[in-house]
Amino acid sequence: MKTTGTHAFVNQLLIYTLVMIGFSGSVGMGAVWLRHQISVTANRTKQIEARIAEVERHFRETEAAIGTEQGPEALKRRNLEWGLGLVSPKDSQIVRENGSPEERLAAKQNQGLFTDGVSFVGLKPGGSSLR
Amino acid sequence: MSRGFASNYRIVLLASLVGVSFVSLGARLVQLHVIDRERLLGYVAKARRDIIVEQARRGDILDDRGNILATSKSQIVLGVDPQSLRESDEPKWAQLAAMIDMPLPELRRIFTTKTRPAAKVVETPKGDLAAEQRFDFARSNEAATAETEPSHPADEAVDENGEVPIQWAKLRESIDESVYDKIVALGINGVYGNREYRRFYPQNSLAAHLIGFVNKKGTPATGIEHYADFYLRGQDGWRESERDGKRHEQAQFRTRSVDPVDGYLVKLSIDAAVQHIVEEELAAIAQKFQPQKATIIVSDARTGFLLALANYPTFNLNEYGKADMAALRNIAVADVLEPGSTFKIVAISGVIDRGLVGPQSTFDCSIDHIEYKGKVHGLPKEDHHFEHPLTVREITSHSSNRGAAQLAMLMGEQAFYDHARAFGFGQLTGFPIGGEVRGIMAKPNTPGWDGLTITRMPMGQSVAATPLQIHYAMATIASGGVALRPQLIKEIKDAHGEVVFAYDRVIERTVIRPETARTMASYLGWVTVKNEGTAPEAAIPGYDVAGKTGTSQKVVDGHYSTKEHVASFVGFFPASRPRVVISVIVDGGDARAPGGVAYGAKVAAPSFKHIGEQLVQYLHIEPVAASPHPALFAMEGGRR
Repeated sequence: MKTTGTHAFVNQLLIYTLVMIGFSGSVGMGAVWLRHQISVTANRTKQIEARIAEVERHFRETEAAIGTEQGPEALKRRNLEWGLGLVSPKDSQIVRENGSPEERLAAKQNQGLFTDGVSFVGLKPGGSSLR
Repeated sequence: MSRGFASNYRIVLLASLVGVSFVSLGARLVQLHVIDRERLLGYVAKARRDIIVEQARRGDILDDRGNILATSKSQIVLGVDPQSLRESDEPKWAQLAAMIDMPLPELRRIFTTKTRPAAKVVETPKGDLAAEQRFDFARSNEAATAETEPSHPADEAVDENGEVPIQWAKLRESIDESVYDKIVALGINGVYGNREYRRFYPQNSLAAHLIGFVNKKGTPATGIEHYADFYLRGQDGWRESERDGKRHEQAQFRTRSVDPVDGYLVKLSIDAAVQHIVEEELAAIAQKFQPQKATIIVSDARTGFLLALANYPTFNLNEYGKADMAALRNIAVADVLEPGSTFKIVAISGVIDRGLVGPQSTFDCSIDHIEYKGKVHGLPKEDHHFEHPLTVREITSHSSNRGAAQLAMLMGEQAFYDHARAFGFGQLTGFPIGGEVRGIMAKPNTPGWDGLTITRMPMGQSVAATPLQIHYAMATIASGGVALRPQLIKEIKDAHGEVVFAYDRVIERTVIRPETARTMASYLGWVTVKNEGTAPEAAIPGYDVAGKTGTSQKVVDGHYSTKEHVASFVGFFPASRPRVVISVIVDGGDARAPGGVAYGAKVAAPSFKHIGEQLVQYLHIEPVAASPHPALFAMEGGRR
């Protein structure tokens, strides 16, 4: 192929033009694909948002249903329906503690620690053992 | 390719065509993007651009223990497009009817009614797009409205009979999400719903007069819903986006957006369990005495926060439309009544606080006339005859009308009036909901204050107060002599549970000295002592209970009726270390009351006791060391 002369120049121009058209087309197609992907992603995001909204709606509904079931009226009804026989304690059944309950329980727990029988700890090489 | 692949002529022609094409294309682009830019952009913006509002979720109302009293949840308005129904779906109609609790013939009638008269405007059709499009919450209200607007009559296709096709007919309102899922799963073509947020009250009528309600238009009508609307409503968000020809949002064209801010949570001081105890008691009163109305109020003696407030009659918050106007009224703050003997605490505490009497001071309560400021005044009647002069303590426990009148005279008209005002009578307590009224209390030296007033007002006549005023007057003694602000809201929290604002005990004013409050508590403690006071029915075994009965005659046709009374008992316990203040006020329970008269001791005091006994368990109120003599108890008042 000649590289000089009018024809050669025109040929080159045509080739470059075709290359440019091809390149531009590719860029255009790329842009379209990109926009399509953006659209797909945006729609997917929208769907996820809608799904989250739906889950939240169900969550709120469940929360409201739990609220209803935890109401005093509903609990009393259930108590009757299921024959649980739950009643409020009477004052005579209640023993009131004036001191700290933690300390009292700890004292009760530790009461037998040093009095429940006698344990001897024998020391010997290789470790200790209870006898 | 010696001469190239084309001749000169062809090359020039091809180049010219390409050139012309590019120039044409460029010219067109210039025309579109430069010359007609504004016009075309305007058109696009009008057709496609849209501001989509994202609704904020209204905040919940919680009780003191976090139980939900009011919440927002989406519900579906279910409808059908009769034109889209398929014959193949007909076997499923029965299932649908059962799901929405509608008789099958009724459902069949709606489904098979395909047209309506052209002139008749039917209920707004809610859209004509596919169901999943309608449920796109991402779309704006405006857009949704646009989609669901009825076609203009002029656009309707009227047939030769003057009928137009029905595009949408409502089947049922307020379908739950879970039920709607099942309906969608049925797959009946043409049956669809429109989702909207509705306010839901899980506890139905519990604390109805305090919570209030939001109507179907979304307007908070009464109660905390109305008062705390600023916190509850949140802030709607928005986003700028585009829609296609079918009005679907084109998510890729979203530009700017502002997220919605959900409403704050409002935590009340009331306790659902205490409120339930109170409402059960009120229902028992209503069943037993069939009064015209009744109120029970419970508050924390130490802080002034309300624990419960209930009225009879009441209503279901989820069905407020079915309630009559009388039931909607918060009579605890909007109605006034003569307080009767519960008002005697004003005169008694007044003379003690001013040092006008001592423990040994006595008053002759058998006399029926007395001289005051140079004039002889007739004293009111007594229910009992007193053989000996009464001490102030006995005037309190026996509820002597004449004794109270003499104490008020000892104070003087102006001092008595000022003292009653300090207790909160005749002025607003500042309670934020329910349309509070001031009550009626005449000023001395005004036309409303006549010669009888100084003898009648101390016993609770010639004065009108709301149940809340009466309650907080007694609460003033329980709190050690300070008037506490009646409060209902404890905390405001954001959607994540962070406390935005916390309310604390607020002292409005000091009414009486702590020593006076202690003395008053001990005197009022005698009211519930058998053979000593007027209301042993209010006594709670193991606890020192202070209180005052009230039995006021109602004014009928301008005269005090002997047949209609307002019975009340207002008190607190333990008297020596007050935890709760309870008021029970029953209006017009005479017909079924023992003896045909609704005495406070017989009608209201037993309810006080019953509520108190339950609160002992629930609030873990410890008894004060038992003593046969309430007057010996030490009173700490509000100084703990």
